[in-house]
Amino acid sequence: MMEHRDHDRVPRQDGYWPETIARWEGEGLRGGEQTVRTMLRRDFAGLCWSWPRPFPGRSELLEEDEQTRVIIDGFGQKTREWKSRSGTPEHLGWECDSPRKWREVFRPALLGTGLHVSVEESRKGFAEARRRGAWCHFSGVEGFEATRKMLGDEMSLMAMAEDPQWIRDVSAVHTDVLLRDFNALWDAGVHPDGVWIYGDMAFNHATVCSPAMYRDLIWPDHKRLADWAHQHGCKFIYHTDGRIHAVLDLYVEAGFDCLQPLEAKAGMDVRELCPAYGDRLAMFGNIDMTVAGTNDREKVEHEVRSKLAAGMATKAYAYHSDHSVPPTVSWETYQWIVELLDRYGNYA
Amino acid sequence: MADLNALKEAVIKGDRAGATKLTKELLAAGTPPKAVLDEGLVAGMAVVGARFKKNEVFVPEVLIAARAMKEAMTILEPVLVKAGIKPAHTAIIGTVQGDLHDIGKNLVAMMWKGANFGVVDLGTNVSPQRFVDAAQEHKASIVGLSSLLTTTMPAMKQAVVALRAANVTSKILIGGAPVTQAFAQEIGADGYAPDAASAVDVAKKLVTT
Repeated sequence: MMEHRDHDRVPRQDGYWPETIARWEGEGLRGGEQTVRTMLRRDFAGLCWSWPRPFPGRSELLEEDEQTRVIIDGFGQKTREWKSRSGTPEHLGWECDSPRKWREVFRPALLGTGLHVSVEESRKGFAEARRRGAWCHFSGVEGFEATRKMLGDEMSLMAMAEDPQWIRDVSAVHTDVLLRDFNALWDAGVHPDGVWIYGDMAFNHATVCSPAMYRDLIWPDHKRLADWAHQHGCKFIYHTDGRIHAVLDLYVEAGFDCLQPLEAKAGMDVRELCPAYGDRLAMFGNIDMTVAGTNDREKVEHEVRSKLAAGMATKAYAYHSDHSVPPTVSWETYQWIVELLDRYGNYA
Repeated sequence: MADLNALKEAVIKGDRAGATKLTKELLAAGTPPKAVLDEGLVAGMAVVGARFKKNEVFVPEVLIAARAMKEAMTILEPVLVKAGIKPAHTAIIGTVQGDLHDIGKNLVAMMWKGANFGVVDLGTNVSPQRFVDAAQEHKASIVGLSSLLTTTMPAMKQAVVALRAANVTSKILIGGAPVTQAFAQEIGADGYAPDAASAVDVAKKLVTT
């Protein structure tokens, strides 16, 4: 699919909220998420998850109430999170609050950490994934997300405008540590088909920063990651939420092979993107979960069928929800989506 | 001599030292504090908001502009208070119950402050009753409800129902990644804003209708 060449069917992958699986179990699902994965016939297998942090394993409980707890984590980030449900945490503060703190404490701490992945686990996962013929990939988080985690949104975004060298350095050091993980796995004989990097660079209406600022501060490290992938014979998938039209050409220039998950509610639409970029970028996802959440069979069929058609015309499309499947989607609807993939997702 | 246009430009550029210095100079020269606010600081943020809406500037530039205004306000605010000048409208804002997401909500609060709304930020995971209590206590013109998750959109409806049931007269504005104009109409909100800059325009329109 990422070679834009003939293949038998649209590859598939998806993600589910824990609450979604719980809902589906109440609606007749037996065997939990494993059953859903088997039914979907997932084609991708992650071999690691590298999100380097300066203080691995740190999770200090500061306070808690019935529903939430406040912790300081391995990024030096103070958050309030739910105890028993998924969802974005509330951000309460960051220990890395100055360039000096970064230089003197966080930078050396991050560089001084060991591997953030398990070689043994990755080896096992690799062998298992190869046995079942899955497309194997390393997964990790890129530099912009790292700055937000360590510095907080407000400080990192203001520093992008006022102290760009600080942000360049955080992103570059993070990328060095990430690539150290990937190199260690590679040297241990874990040779994937791709590298799948996560980083959210956009909101619903635009990218977080200007394309020029992205090109200057973050893009060089994105290119380093894509180059690493290509030098090792791998494809490069980039995950970002939000509306990213303004930076698509920069993604092409950096050598990205595939974009995921293409958030429909942010205005991303493979029916427009594939004719324009489908010869250079594979598209992965974009099935609108607000449509799926209507649980209306006709609407869902139109959504899946029309987007499959647009993607398959380029031979460079893989199925995924446009982020992850929320619990507004019924079990019956999800089974309908899989049936539609079986019906319309074959090239033969 | 400092002029209001220079102050406006300082805010647009996010020049906090310049904005603070010019505010002091303008006040010392006898410029009416209301003019410093409206024609300098608020006017600057209005330009930033308009450019943000058109994707001519992005969140980093908005944040440094808002910070320049905030720092200048530390000089101006006591003078405004002394002169008995208050924001014409108070806005309550919060992320609805069940949702801890705060980035979008914070950005809207910042833009509203930049447009000289008095802003009471209730934080995240706010119950319908807290919205009601705060709207009544502060005699709010606007209540802003934020949600990131499709699963917490029903909590928006519960907040709207509670506000209406309590006969709160504030206009209700909703926003957040999964929210749409159609959803706003469906739950009986008065307005919907797709982004932080639009939230200023919609709020201004709502408080004058």
